[in-house]
Amino acid sequence: MRFAPTAQQVELATAVRELLADACPPETVRAAWGSEGEKARVDLWRQLADLGLLGAVLPEADGGLGLTEVDLVPLMVEVGRAAVPLPVAETVAVLVPLLAGRPGDGDDLTGLVTGNLVGTAELAGSGVLPWAGCSDRALVRSGSELRLVDLTGVPLELVTTVDGSRAAARTPQLPGTLLSTDPADLERAWLRGALATAAQLVGLVHRQLDLAVAHAAARKQFGVPIGSQQAVKHMLADVLLDVRFALPVVQRAAVSLAAGAPEARAHVAAAKAMASRAADRAARTTIQAHGAIGYTVEYDLHLYVKRAWALADTWGSETHSRAVVADSLGLPPAVDPSVLPWEAAR
Amino acid sequence: MTAAEAAFRAEIRDWLETELSGDFAALRGSGGPGREHEDLEERAAWERRLGEAGWIGVGWPDSRYGKALDLQQQVVFHEEYARAAAPGRLGHIGEQLLVPTLLAHGTEEQKARFVPGVASGEVMWCQGYSEPDAGSDLANVGTRAVLDGDRWVVTGQKIWTSLAHIADWCFVIARTEPGSQRHAGLSFLLVPMDQPGVTVRPIVQLTGTSEFNEVFFDDAVAAAGDVVGEAGAGWRVAMSLLGFERGVSTLGQQIGFTRELEAITVRARENGAADDPVLADRIVSAWVDLQVMRHTALRTLGGDAAREAPWAANVSKLLWANWHRRLGELAMAVEGPAAVVTSGLPYELTDDQRLYLFTRADTIYGGSNEVQRNVLAERHLGLPRDRA
Repeated sequence: MRFAPTAQQVELATAVRELLADACPPETVRAAWGSEGEKARVDLWRQLADLGLLGAVLPEADGGLGLTEVDLVPLMVEVGRAAVPLPVAETVAVLVPLLAGRPGDGDDLTGLVTGNLVGTAELAGSGVLPWAGCSDRALVRSGSELRLVDLTGVPLELVTTVDGSRAAARTPQLPGTLLSTDPADLERAWLRGALATAAQLVGLVHRQLDLAVAHAAARKQFGVPIGSQQAVKHMLADVLLDVRFALPVVQRAAVSLAAGAPEARAHVAAAKAMASRAADRAARTTIQAHGAIGYTVEYDLHLYVKRAWALADTWGSETHSRAVVADSLGLPPAVDPSVLPWEAAR
Repeated sequence: MTAAEAAFRAEIRDWLETELSGDFAALRGSGGPGREHEDLEERAAWERRLGEAGWIGVGWPDSRYGKALDLQQQVVFHEEYARAAAPGRLGHIGEQLLVPTLLAHGTEEQKARFVPGVASGEVMWCQGYSEPDAGSDLANVGTRAVLDGDRWVVTGQKIWTSLAHIADWCFVIARTEPGSQRHAGLSFLLVPMDQPGVTVRPIVQLTGTSEFNEVFFDDAVAAAGDVVGEAGAGWRVAMSLLGFERGVSTLGQQIGFTRELEAITVRARENGAADDPVLADRIVSAWVDLQVMRHTALRTLGGDAAREAPWAANVSKLLWANWHRRLGELAMAVEGPAAVVTSGLPYELTDDQRLYLFTRADTIYGGSNEVQRNVLAERHLGLPRDRA
């Protein structure tokens, strides 16, 4: 098992990071909270398509980059770091791999990888479809059936979420084209979504940490930078530890998933649990380290804190993820560890 | 509980029940944590009603201005107030910070001029302490005031000033001795807000609403006599005020906490979250810790108060702020993934979301976790001072 990134992985991640630094600065995320951000959002999606990110998992022969889940991790970390206000993870990690190689779904697949369509997904049965406000297609499920919904023309009850850039919709039951009734497809789609979300959370922790570290180094009280005080220094070091511990577990999960290993389910769950916990603690700690400025919306930190907050409990909360791990160890799980967590447990 | 105490409790309870069933019925629960922006006019009317009935300043130690209740009665009052879900107070800065300071350090003339307005609920105050460069390090105040004939001319900026947008007056810590450093040369000035030299700019909080502000003083004026304590000796006055900040109202606050935790517990039973033993355990811990808070407060108010007072406030702040922050997290966890959906456009939050976001501030304002621990370490444990 090779954990160090390959030269190609580093190169791609750097390209995505540079593109996002330029195309998705905090102002873009902030603008996506309101309708004035629509054009920037469309442009950004197009740029991600042009970079090849949207179709990255397609074979090179089909115009993709032939990437596996392992390659996607560093890219999703970057997507998280920038808090891209679009369902990149859902499109790239869930929809495109599912649609690839399915005869008859070619138009949607082409639309997604060329950036003409935006695709979202919700497999937990929470009744809330994330990114509905900016998406054209949605992958949903009823029971173990996976369906693809064309959202254009479907009347949606849009709702805001605590992350205002991620407008969602309440979805009692959406009509759609049947894609699969195979529970294995559902499980794989779920694990890809959970993995991509865990990787995004890692990136989000890094962004929050960067902001807090910069603040702690610049902000002076009692004549010294507050970051020179151990109370603040150690607090931020603990955030770093959390995320440093989470990343290898996320990478391990990607390796298992790419190999189709039976442990993938437990490994992805461990990754999501670690990443969710790191993100929760980072959100709490970085606000604290900022003091009152961290409690305002004029400052950028909240854009990343609220995204982390939104993602930490999606695609498996920490509790659910731990239950999956417990189950895999033959221990009685705290909650129902089935892949359909919220429907089953609540 | 003695018969007298029970009678007193019944009196307050009846009064609140009557008042909050009439014109003010809609104000129950208004202005609570994360809701400080609500119903400002109606709550201002409520302040006047409280004042009229003599329920403002019940703990002031001077019977000329209020009921001067004993400690136990004050606790009862705050508990009943919270139990009735009476509106969040707008006048608490004047009542709990300014007046006790005046009673301790003000002249008779100042008391006669300023206390009645607070007691009647008609005059609102805000606290001009924090500045962009003086937060935890309050002694780094840069706002200046110069005596020019019969008035002070004040220049500078305050920040995180709660309720400045509705305040009539601001008590300001300003540097009145040019070239002075740190704690020396500061004065505690009383500055009217309604004048050309004062500009208030609201700051939007994580909750999408505004309770605090930036306040700019640009040649604002205050009367020469409106300095509390001696000019240049304001630090001592300013610090004594912080001692008033966390008093008996803690026990009333815990009634509100209990209500919040009850709601979360009920919700967890309803939606099945309580079947998750991890969540159930967190709920149990919250109940136990609530008892810790209550008994710590009771002990502090009891016989040990004199001996423990110097550090009890720091312990109390750490206890409740961290408990409340965890409670916000628990509320969201109990709701599950749908917890992130707001209750309406543009950013109308649910009670759980408000609680979660509002409690992010609890561990920061009024002395952050870090400041509280420093004080405990240095003043209670006697460990060497950090810096400055």
